[in-house]
Amino acid sequence: MSDAAPSLSFATFLQGRRIRLTPGGLFGRICVALLLSMVCAAVLIGLSGHNPFAAFAAIAQGAMGSEHQIGASLNRCTPYLLAGVGVALCFRAGVINIGAEGQIAIGGAGAAAAAFAFADAPPIVAVVAALLGGALAGAAWAGIATAIHLGRRVHEVLATLLLNFVALLLVQQLLAGPLGQFGAGFLQSPLMPRSAWLPRLAGFDAHPGFLIAILAAAAFSFVLWRTPFGFALRVAGSSRLAGAYAGFSLARLTWGAMLIAGALAGLAGGIEVLGVHRRLIEGFSLGFGFKAVTVALLGAIEPLAVTPAALFIGLLESGSLAMQRQIGVPSALITVIEGLTMLFVLAATAGRK
Amino acid sequence: MSPLLQMRGIVRRFGDLCANDNIDLDVQPGEILGLLGENGSGKSTLMKVLFGMLRADSGSIAFKGKLLDGHTPAEAMAAGIAMIHQHFMLIDAMTVTENVMLGWPEAGRVLRTKEISSRVREASKRFGLYLDPDAQVGALPLGRRQRVEILKAILRNAELLILDEPTSNLAPAEVADLLVILRRLRAERKGIVFITHKLPEVLDVCDNVVVLRLGRVVGRAPVAGASRGQLAEMMIGRDVSAPREVDAAKPPGQARLALRDFSAPGLLPLTFEVRAGEILGVAGVDGNGQFELVESLSGLLPARGGVLELDGRDITRSTVAARMNLGLAYMPADRGQKALVKGMSIAENVMLRDSRRPPYARGPLLTPARAAAKTRALMADYDIRARGPDSIVARLSGGNQQKIVVARELDRGPAVLIAHQAAWGLDPGATRFVLDRMIALRDRGAAIVYVSSELEEVLAISDRVAVMAGGGFAGVMPRSALDMRQIGLWMAGRAA
Repeated sequence: MSDAAPSLSFATFLQGRRIRLTPGGLFGRICVALLLSMVCAAVLIGLSGHNPFAAFAAIAQGAMGSEHQIGASLNRCTPYLLAGVGVALCFRAGVINIGAEGQIAIGGAGAAAAAFAFADAPPIVAVVAALLGGALAGAAWAGIATAIHLGRRVHEVLATLLLNFVALLLVQQLLAGPLGQFGAGFLQSPLMPRSAWLPRLAGFDAHPGFLIAILAAAAFSFVLWRTPFGFALRVAGSSRLAGAYAGFSLARLTWGAMLIAGALAGLAGGIEVLGVHRRLIEGFSLGFGFKAVTVALLGAIEPLAVTPAALFIGLLESGSLAMQRQIGVPSALITVIEGLTMLFVLAATAGRK
Repeated sequence: MSPLLQMRGIVRRFGDLCANDNIDLDVQPGEILGLLGENGSGKSTLMKVLFGMLRADSGSIAFKGKLLDGHTPAEAMAAGIAMIHQHFMLIDAMTVTENVMLGWPEAGRVLRTKEISSRVREASKRFGLYLDPDAQVGALPLGRRQRVEILKAILRNAELLILDEPTSNLAPAEVADLLVILRRLRAERKGIVFITHKLPEVLDVCDNVVVLRLGRVVGRAPVAGASRGQLAEMMIGRDVSAPREVDAAKPPGQARLALRDFSAPGLLPLTFEVRAGEILGVAGVDGNGQFELVESLSGLLPARGGVLELDGRDITRSTVAARMNLGLAYMPADRGQKALVKGMSIAENVMLRDSRRPPYARGPLLTPARAAAKTRALMADYDIRARGPDSIVARLSGGNQQKIVVARELDRGPAVLIAHQAAWGLDPGATRFVLDRMIALRDRGAAIVYVSSELEEVLAISDRVAVMAGGGFAGVMPRSALDMRQIGLWMAGRAA
């Protein structure tokens, strides 16, 4: 939730800007911001009486120390990246979509439902059907927000944000009813049919979701910069008036961006359910959607650049438990680092006239 | 008499470009100095240097005998220099008095609203500003808002006022009032620098002129005895004041754009035709329905009733894109938000309305290399000065920005062109260039609706002249039977 407010002005600021790999450019400034936030984090760790270098080493160790840990880290990054790419696309189009949180949850439920429906199908069909089910469910949920936004002129921030709560409650309801495991003691579905499980790469704990996410980031970066549709999105995002003047249908562009974002978020939910938990669990994606907004902004709402941003956040979180275990710095500190990073990035990039 | 302002040998470079090349400028107390020059001639740079918004690379500035060096705008203001920008720096939601008090130490830590209010009233009377201290600024017409800026300067004891194109947003009646106010300021021994493109105003109110071209002073003259032609010649090196004679209308072609009782919100039902090879000029004071006319013709505002036809096809309810495909081009007056995306490159702005067509796209993909080549060609053809197709539009001068719009809309070879304030912010040379291009388009058989609040431009280009007032046409007359008195009456008659 707290990520939503600063993102508004920041997103407007970024629309239409291209990342250039120059020290004075956006990229350079984001790097400086990251560096500063790490320095601050080091000071905080030092103040709490621990050696910051040991803490960072523990984080790196925990995130990338073994094949197993690398896999777990990549799995962690996947939903941030997928949903972040969708959010970035929406922000580029001038649509402030804060609804990834709900779209991921509904996507997870959709994937679970599809997996049960295709339980007897051969594995490839079952996996594809389940992932498609997730994407469609996420897109449908984004579609509801879009319809409310365009049809009744409710601001998209409100429409997407408020539907998040509805989505989370709806998933709870489904788990208490048709999708739930009877007598499990808490809200979760039965184990997914084995045919719908995402395979795990041998030796790693990684599922192929991260590859899908990187492909999606590359594909939508291409769409954004190299297709007339992407051009229209960027124009409309920079100026609604110019978009209308150019002959674009702003409503159609909003639909396009929102449905893509919903599908990507839904896919993220599906991958999480089929690849990590192998069942639908209440709150399985809590906070993912808002983290996606952070990641999108950290990546300067450029789909390709969202990739390192998602990796950064994902690895930090994945390593944080190791840090807590090994040297006793509370893992909640990672949340502080994330917040600081966001602040520094905002200050570094939005402070210019 | 010692001069109020003495600028000596001002040099300011931007990279390779020398925006101010050794400029001297004097202003005496009680003098109105006209600062003339084409777009990009260095006027704004010089004034920014004076006001402390830019540093000079070399040269000196003496104001009231004291050297100003490395000063900030705040220090310039404290010294007694006031700058009145083209876009006003006022807060709409506040009253006149509150705007005057804003950022002014004399208003007190606990605001002395009453006292300031009475000072506002007093100064307003003395200088003929007719401002109500309690009026909300947002509710004032543009001319009055400008007076609030002038009032701020007066109350802060400014002795030198810089007015940057002060008349570009004003209606003719407001311009006349402003000139009266400037004369009063002159009578109070204030110095005034008046930056403008418009020669009639210079002749009317200025005592002396300084003309800049390419960063150098190319002429200084007292206005008494100078003619328009001479001034224009100094400005761009040739005489452009005489409008080129438009060829007599050829035998009327087919009606390309036809309106029958066509109306829109803010636009009374209109019935007229524009034929192939004809330019219909639409004059009138801004805000009399011109915006509604051009926006509803281009499809951005929905029509309320009646019929609109392009080459015999009913486009009353067509989308913007459909109209464009039928050959309707449109140059909106709102350059910054609508006609251009300022944060994007020249190439992207050139392809703004054609991004699905060759050479900008092929099938589902953009073709950036071809788009860049095309843009380069247009930049050469229309004399758009920038480093290359990738230059960001926001960094270009207003004149170059407008040329992008003109190039884009004309390049499509439209059947019908709707142009609104197409020469806004252009110097006389560039204006002439744009008008000539439009005449060439007309000669190739297009129909053009040329809407502008600059009567002179309209008269220079039109085969027929219509005058808008109160949301409708007050009257239409052919070029052959031009009657200036009648046009004046139409403009004034039902003007808002």
